[in-house]
Amino acid sequence: MATYKLYYFNARGRAEVLRLLFAAAGQRFEDSRFEQNTWPSFKSQMPLSQVPVLEVNGTTLVQSQTIARFLARQFLLGGRDGFELAKVEAVVDTINDFVSILSPIRREQDEKKKKEQLQKFLNDDLPKHLQNLEILARLYGNGGQYFIGNNLTLADLTFYDAGETLLQLDPNCLNNHPWLKQNRLLVASQPRIAEYLRNRPKTAF
Amino acid sequence: MSIYKLHYFNFRGRGELSRLVFAAAGQTFEDIRYERNEWPSNKSKMPLGQMPVLEFNGTQLPQSIPVARFLAKQFQLAGKDNLEQAKVDAVVDTIADLIVKYSPARWEPDETKKKALLKKIFAEDLDKHLQDLDVLRKLYGDGGPFFVGNHLTLADLYFYNTGQNLLQMDENSLNNYPWLKQNREEVEKQPKIAEYIKNRPEMPY
Repeated sequence: MATYKLYYFNARGRAEVLRLLFAAAGQRFEDSRFEQNTWPSFKSQMPLSQVPVLEVNGTTLVQSQTIARFLARQFLLGGRDGFELAKVEAVVDTINDFVSILSPIRREQDEKKKKEQLQKFLNDDLPKHLQNLEILARLYGNGGQYFIGNNLTLADLTFYDAGETLLQLDPNCLNNHPWLKQNRLLVASQPRIAEYLRNRPKTAF
Repeated sequence: MSIYKLHYFNFRGRGELSRLVFAAAGQTFEDIRYERNEWPSNKSKMPLGQMPVLEFNGTQLPQSIPVARFLAKQFQLAGKDNLEQAKVDAVVDTIADLIVKYSPARWEPDETKKKALLKKIFAEDLDKHLQDLDVLRKLYGDGGPFFVGNHLTLADLYFYNTGQNLLQMDENSLNNYPWLKQNREEVEKQPKIAEYIKNRPEMPY
């Protein structure tokens, strides 16, 4: 009987996809959330001084994407075989390609610079990445509404979470991408996920 | 006619990790290498217009790390079970963080700028990630020369290749990390890998 304890800030950030995995699987876990002022006293207890960290049966796992893939495999949300798992990971990496461009922009302190960089991202970078996701969905999705095969996987949960951030920045950014919009609606309508989304703490990011 | 075909440029870059996995496993594959001038006419054949791409039983898989991870799993080089695979992944993700840090310097075309960037990055930024790797091998490595458990995994192969790039940029970069140096030597003396390194085209990157 595995026990799971997740450490992160009281925010969605790099942990929300992990919480979505627990929710989709109906798996209980300890959702330990730091506030900004309590974090410094816990920081040194984390192996790489970073979060999220997952404690599972006495082992400490680090790196958000590693934890996501681990939980996906544990909960059978990683595709049905090794090659399907690789397809899931390819989609996840393609999503992270644009998330990693966006992260420094969101941290930019100068408001004017931030606005410009964001516009450039939305106009010049994002469309290509969304098209790439649509290409992979066509290649791996068997004509259905999930990214891989005909089942919910980590790929769909990762896009759901990244999409939430995108839509916060520009509510229209998925208007030309109906399949991606529909995919997010399908994820949100899964009963366990719908319940989780209804009840989770509301945080700014 | 191999079930594995790897498409990449005729240099190490993002393809070498997969080549090292094939080599460590003693697995034959079609090592399809493109010269730069051949790329424009082949770009549209790749799902995301990028390489490496693995063709496995006729299906294309993009994204260098998912490809390498899939191959490692096929050949029992990814960790013995789900938890060990997560430990290997955590090291791989930490190496990826390191690469993100040095890449701007590595690819800076202006020689003067490059020199300055390299100096700064090696003095200030890289130590965190190298120390993190040391933390993880202590946490996951069972006291041996390999990152996880007591056997060669994808983590060691990835650090082997990345270490080569680090030493190219600064030959002293691993002086404070004797375990990391030793780990690379351990990888290098595996017979199948020694053979592969002896015979592969010598490439600057």
